[in-house]
Amino acid sequence: MKKHILQRTLSKLLIYSVLTLVFIVAIFPVLYTLLGSFKGNMELLTEGNRLFPRKFVLDNYKQAWQIANFSQYTLNSLFMSGSIVLGTIISCTIAGYVFERGHFKGKNLIFTLVVSSMFVSLGSLTLYPVFVIAKFFGINKSLWGVIIIRVFGLNVTNLFIARAYIRTISYEIDESAMLDGCSFFQIYHTMILPLLKPLVATIAILEFRHSWNDYLMPLVFTLSNPKRMPLIVGIMELKSSGEAATSWNLMLAGSSIALIPMIVVYLIFNRNFIEGLTAGSVKG
Amino acid sequence: MRTNPLTKPKYDPNSVQAVVMLAPMLIGFFLFTYVPIFYILRYSFYQSNGFTETWIGLENFVRIFTRDLPYWKSLGNAFILSFGKLAVEIPLALLLAVFLNKALKGTGFFRVMLFLPAIISTAITGLIFSLMFASFNGIINEMLLNIGWIARPISWFSRKWSAMLVLGIASVWNNYGINMIFFLMALQSVPKELYESADIDGISSARKFFHITLPMIGPTFQVVVLMAIVGSLKMADLILASTNGQPAGQTEVVMTYVFKYFFGYDGRTVSVGFASAMALITGIILALVSLVYLKTSHKLGHSMD
Repeated sequence: MKKHILQRTLSKLLIYSVLTLVFIVAIFPVLYTLLGSFKGNMELLTEGNRLFPRKFVLDNYKQAWQIANFSQYTLNSLFMSGSIVLGTIISCTIAGYVFERGHFKGKNLIFTLVVSSMFVSLGSLTLYPVFVIAKFFGINKSLWGVIIIRVFGLNVTNLFIARAYIRTISYEIDESAMLDGCSFFQIYHTMILPLLKPLVATIAILEFRHSWNDYLMPLVFTLSNPKRMPLIVGIMELKSSGEAATSWNLMLAGSSIALIPMIVVYLIFNRNFIEGLTAGSVKG
Repeated sequence: MRTNPLTKPKYDPNSVQAVVMLAPMLIGFFLFTYVPIFYILRYSFYQSNGFTETWIGLENFVRIFTRDLPYWKSLGNAFILSFGKLAVEIPLALLLAVFLNKALKGTGFFRVMLFLPAIISTAITGLIFSLMFASFNGIINEMLLNIGWIARPISWFSRKWSAMLVLGIASVWNNYGINMIFFLMALQSVPKELYESADIDGISSARKFFHITLPMIGPTFQVVVLMAIVGSLKMADLILASTNGQPAGQTEVVMTYVFKYFFGYDGRTVSVGFASAMALITGIILALVSLVYLKTSHKLGHSMD
């Protein structure tokens, strides 16, 4: 019996040491960025080995915000992510609702076509043709292009989550609404949509993470219009500008400006985050 | 889409509404998902700089297969980087999931914190790691010097393999969390009774893991690894944000290589046709990889049958 208890304690010790070690590795780069952003420029250039700043200064933020255009980048990021989140909530719940409850000829064929696109794995390689199509419609020089493509481009993962969620809502609700003379759209608008709060939270968080962190697509759409760059693209511009060696302070402050909203949202909604990310991918 | 028979009044008005509600998304979907695929198919037979185009038949493909070694090198790099880092990432994610599933004190805290890197932008990850591993004044070099593991600062990004190592570390850091959560979800759905009866029979933890846990989460494991492989092979942001293919294109992966030809990025001339042909071949190779993987891992996916 004693041996058993010893074994238990040892295995617990092992588990906690591994978890703690990974925990340190996991947060180290984040701490490095956040703490580094408060170092003075001199300190950054001469003392890279210290994690904690000798003196906390806000200079980097001031510079990034006022001189390096980060106030504009932040506004752009907020505008882009906010619009995409709002738009996607509407487009995905509607698409999920129509595919789940709607009846029309060819519905199944269309659904199959949508789903089968998942197997064509071109990733960012379709970015150029997408850009050319956006150019054709004149939406290739601002974040509107990114927003329209993300909102109407129908993300298959979101569609799956939405359809599966709406399936769990009882048909009786639709039927009684129909008896009251509600049309198909009215049922969505007045009966179904108010019941979708958990789904809306999940989709909102997934889309926020995706759009706030996105790099390549906004890069391509703002190449000729640097004023419209979102945060991530703006930070990367600093890196490739050739002044990278002297702008560590701006890169760290900029990265922190990009990280903090994401981390705050995550710490508040971590449950929805984790559920949302798994709901779509594995069950889908 | 233009001649939709459903708009005639003799049809059920609710069906009409359904179609009208879905139409914007359907148009968007076909425009931004299917049209680009056909675009790439068509342009792979053309030479084009984005403004003028000439039909050149199979010339782009001939060029890829006979004269463009850097493409194959970048493809090779994508494979080496992906499988190298997954060899660490997948076991690590599974181990952490098993530990977090033990319902010990504090696992809630660890779950939230260990998942944190997964919410951080891949581009920012690339930037942070390139700062941390900077040869001059980088914190990693300083730490290694302080504990005496190295005598001089290492110039991580000026040699191919050390640069690839950093890329691998950064990618594992950014991605293990999501796999960990998938595994954790799968583990939580394994019925507790199985372990209880194994306990009665006095079976060791290692055997329990290989004979109960792994078969039970087999199907999830199969899908998660597939997504991890395809996702890693499509890696682009991380490379662009850190090494950008340097030194001398030796850390270029297939996605960044083709991307640069499409957009004339990073000093290349725009070659839409050539890039389309490479995109097409890359797409086929990725599909083949998935197919081979699904065939060889068939047993894993059906371990519960």
